[in-house]
Amino acid sequence: MKKTVRTQVLLCAGGSCISSGTPSVREAFETALDKHGLNDEIEVITTGCMGMCEIGPIVVIYPEGVFYQKVKPGDVEEIVAEHLLKGRVVERLFYRKPSSQELIQTINDIDFFKLQHKIALRNCGQIDPEQIREYIAMDGYAALGKVLTEMTPAAVVAEVKASGLRGRGGAGFPTGLKWAAAASYPSEIKYVVCNADEGDPGAFMDRSILEGDPHSVLEAMAICGFAVGARQGYIYVRAEYPLAIERLEKAIAQARELGMLGTDIFGSGFDFDIEIRMGAGAFVCGEETALMHSIEGRRGEPRPKPPFPAQKGLFDRPTVLNNVETFANIPHIILAGSQAFAALGTEKSKGTKVFALAGDVNNTGLVEVPMGISLGTIIYDIGGGIPGDKKFKAVQIGGPSGGCIPTAYLNTPVTYESLPELGAIMGSGGLVVMNEDTCMVDLARYFLEFIAEESCGKCTPCRVGTRIMLELVTKICEGRGEMADLTRLEELADYVRQASLCGLGQTAPNPVLSTLRYFRDEYIAHIRDHRCEAGVCASMMYAPCTNACPAGVNVPAYMALVAQGRYEDALRVHLKANPLPSVCGRVCPQWCIKKCRRADLEGPLAVRLVKRFMSDQRQNYDDLYPEKAPDNGRRVAVVGSGPAGLTAAYYLTLMGYRVTVFDRQPEPGGMLRYAIPEYRLPREYVDKEIAGLVRLGVEIRTGVDVGIDVTLGGLRAEGYEAMFLACGSGQEIRPDIPGMELKGVYTGIDFLERVAKGEPIQMGPDVLVVGGGDSAIDASRVARRRGARTITILYRRTRSEMPTNPIEIREAELEGNTVEFLTNIGGIAARADGRLEVEVRKMRLGAFDKTGRRRPEEIPNAQDVRVVDNVIIAIGQRCDMGDLLRDGQGLVPNGWGGIQADIRTGTTDAPFIFAGGDLVSGAATVVEAISAGQIGARAIDQYLSPDAGRVYPWEHPEAPPAPAESDGEIETIAPVAQPLLSAAERLITLEVERTIRADEARCEAGRCLRCDYKG
Amino acid sequence: MTVDSIVKKHGNDREHLLSILHDIQSGSPDHSLHREAIEELSCLLDVPISDIVGTASFYTMFSLKPRGRHIIRLCESPPCYIAGEENILAALERKLGVVLGGTTADGLFTLEATSCLGACGVAPVMMVDDEVYGHLTEAKAVAIVERIAAAQG
Repeated sequence: MKKTVRTQVLLCAGGSCISSGTPSVREAFETALDKHGLNDEIEVITTGCMGMCEIGPIVVIYPEGVFYQKVKPGDVEEIVAEHLLKGRVVERLFYRKPSSQELIQTINDIDFFKLQHKIALRNCGQIDPEQIREYIAMDGYAALGKVLTEMTPAAVVAEVKASGLRGRGGAGFPTGLKWAAAASYPSEIKYVVCNADEGDPGAFMDRSILEGDPHSVLEAMAICGFAVGARQGYIYVRAEYPLAIERLEKAIAQARELGMLGTDIFGSGFDFDIEIRMGAGAFVCGEETALMHSIEGRRGEPRPKPPFPAQKGLFDRPTVLNNVETFANIPHIILAGSQAFAALGTEKSKGTKVFALAGDVNNTGLVEVPMGISLGTIIYDIGGGIPGDKKFKAVQIGGPSGGCIPTAYLNTPVTYESLPELGAIMGSGGLVVMNEDTCMVDLARYFLEFIAEESCGKCTPCRVGTRIMLELVTKICEGRGEMADLTRLEELADYVRQASLCGLGQTAPNPVLSTLRYFRDEYIAHIRDHRCEAGVCASMMYAPCTNACPAGVNVPAYMALVAQGRYEDALRVHLKANPLPSVCGRVCPQWCIKKCRRADLEGPLAVRLVKRFMSDQRQNYDDLYPEKAPDNGRRVAVVGSGPAGLTAAYYLTLMGYRVTVFDRQPEPGGMLRYAIPEYRLPREYVDKEIAGLVRLGVEIRTGVDVGIDVTLGGLRAEGYEAMFLACGSGQEIRPDIPGMELKGVYTGIDFLERVAKGEPIQMGPDVLVVGGGDSAIDASRVARRRGARTITILYRRTRSEMPTNPIEIREAELEGNTVEFLTNIGGIAARADGRLEVEVRKMRLGAFDKTGRRRPEEIPNAQDVRVVDNVIIAIGQRCDMGDLLRDGQGLVPNGWGGIQADIRTGTTDAPFIFAGGDLVSGAATVVEAISAGQIGARAIDQYLSPDAGRVYPWEHPEAPPAPAESDGEIETIAPVAQPLLSAAERLITLEVERTIRADEARCEAGRCLRCDYKG
Repeated sequence: MTVDSIVKKHGNDREHLLSILHDIQSGSPDHSLHREAIEELSCLLDVPISDIVGTASFYTMFSLKPRGRHIIRLCESPPCYIAGEENILAALERKLGVVLGGTTADGLFTLEATSCLGACGVAPVMMVDDEVYGHLTEAKAVAIVERIAAAQG
């Protein structure tokens, strides 16, 4: 006998959770409840999909709704003994909010669930799908009863029409119209067909509904049968969904047993029954005419329409064909009324839509939201954003018939009308989120391959057209493309779209067209530069790390050489692509390791630490530079001695030019000397590497302000045949707030430069720093070293939007600085005691900007006042090219005080003047500046010596020693420990990080998987 | 079950052809449709052999060639692809010593690709017979295969 159940344990038995171990967790619960004698008071219910597939198996304990994730059989005893017996929740199994790592206790407090509105999924995760009684307890079959006893068929059709429900399977055709059409054709025999051939890759809502709430579909089909005059229904399910088939079979049997299906349902005289038909692996069978052929036991080939199925469908009889999710909405519409349903959503897209979130997003799974919600809300608020510190790139919506939508459109409301404007479709609601590691050309190739394989072959445009499109895109991915291929692709796309027989072919070109629309540059980079920025297309990539490095440093080679203890050879390799290994060994943000394949094992290689060790092995590299060409007597001027200028001068000198570098500062190095603090980059290493360049033959003239002391025209008259402008972005952007002129207020660059020059700084104990970039963090850490005690960084967005390297933030926090997010400065005023009064405003995140970050907006009337000694404003930099622009050489300014130049070639509006670095790109990193220096050197060489036909040292990586033979098994090697000093130690030493030891360096370098090696 | 009894179970109308083929194939130890079975079916349904073969060959899940005792279906849909399906495939190919579509020499496994299994939330995913395995890593995929092989004794 069952006693009063005090607690219910809901255990998700959706397909994904089952694969993650639900059955053994259930067993463990049964055993544990038995052991503790709780069987009578606690009930374990296995439910359908709860939606959060990634973190399954999920257990929710009611009445409180306590939510446990990733529950293993081994966790169950603790849940039972602690939570169910003693009422103490098991915190370690709680869900953590991805953005803040905050622990969340109940299901209703998880954003993923909070922001949803469930209609089609109303019972999924709530009831045991194998018990018809549970469905009935949730008002199941009440809609069928209402229809059969209170409504006429015409009234049912009218109600569905009035709801505005549109087909959820892809095309979005109004469901009520379909029903009305089928009802209007007189026929003794009609059919209701449920399309459960959910083939769109990345969509799994239909599977979840069939597995989690099968009766809702059966009930809706019966309602439809009543409305249109059909007595027989078919559910066409993919064979890939065995669990769905099993649960449907059980559901049909139970419904028949209780008289919900069969003859004389509810004593109304209405007969209706349903059979299941299983597919056999053919994507095209999702197309309605193909599907009906398949039910008839034939090849699932589509046929032209009209006649539409409503007139002549299955076995040539009038047929209503709706998708699973569409049907699942019907009982709710009948019970709650069409008006309640139509109140949700937008004018033409009513109700809710289920989306399957998959790919590079924190919370993968199923979500149901009102139509019209923005893509950004789905991906960031419900989906929890992008995992790791990767950037969002695009979302593929609508499967192979859909398109991808890039960052700039995150505010787009999701409706049937808005998505086609962007080149996508609602489709069945698969949302595949992609981060920066996805190559859009490869993605287009992938979908074409899919379509070309799934094309049934009946019509030529689809069969042959998609195949030729696939060949063209494959050619581009393999580096054999030509620009004309893009036009050919577009022409073919148009042809396939217009001339194909069915929806599969008509929509097949969409992924190509949408990637061409938003990522044309990526296609062009593949064709023209043989470059796959995402590091996916293997043929145009030496190794993922080298591909990711702006300077193209041959990382695998110097790793291999360091591992063998051949440090000088390693340095030789490095110096081919980058003349500043000591500098980069200390400050490089390591683009390379974002693509390091070792990241999937113990973690990415500590490339920078190995580089640092390697460069510290030599006091000078005089004998290690690439071979220098004989002096050709031609003179080149470089303006600016930062990393871009130095790199250009280095390569031009190696090519035989006579190079003079001019700089307005008293000493060379630019930002390396005057902006990067000494605790990260002691000056001796800047001096060491610049001295090497001078010994190589680079002439450096400091204290010369080009534009004032000498003009570009004057330099040309002196005999400089070409010039490279790389004078950086050394000016801080000053916000328009009161008090910027007050004593004790600095801008970030000004502050760092004064410190670097040893100029007096008046630093009080309490300091506010404003900004979220490198210079804000640098300034905060320098302030501490200059005596400040309480340092607060104000940043107007949140941690995940901060542009600086997360490691830098962590280090600043470790040293005692605090970051206040969602705050901004309003104004500064002087106090009588000489201190500063600062108004701090509270911010919140608003809509998405073009870059995919949320725009901060002020919360009205939410501010407070702080009293501090200093304020350092470091909110961004710009260039100051005023004097050079007045020089009369025809240079054109750009938006941030720099000059317009082609970022790929360095060419400006003056033929003999080239430009690169921050001046052209905006503020960037040292290694990007080095890349700009390479570009400038190549451009000037090709300008001055068009026939030299030179191979530039950085362009063709030489093959390093072959890796040791391996049997494919990879040995686990612990990564090198971070050689950071403790917070206390570091404030009394110069550098915060030490150089790793030789044994550490060799071991770390030996972790390289040698992706370069194709042997 | 014999072909005859399978046809009796479903009925001998053309519309049951796919269901019948599914049953014949899953009842066959090598998961394929044998020539003799098709011939017998042709008589029972009064559908030409060419038509049955033409229909069966349209669908990727029917095989006219013998396959292994267990069918491994690795999902190739975008969420799985993004999650590293290619590496899993390589690991399985290495482990089994076959390329995609091949059957191991001992007849134990056939390695196939499948369209979306609808378990994208736990990508990458594969299905062995009717069982879905998610959150695959190279090591996990290999271990699953080893476990099944061991269970065969």
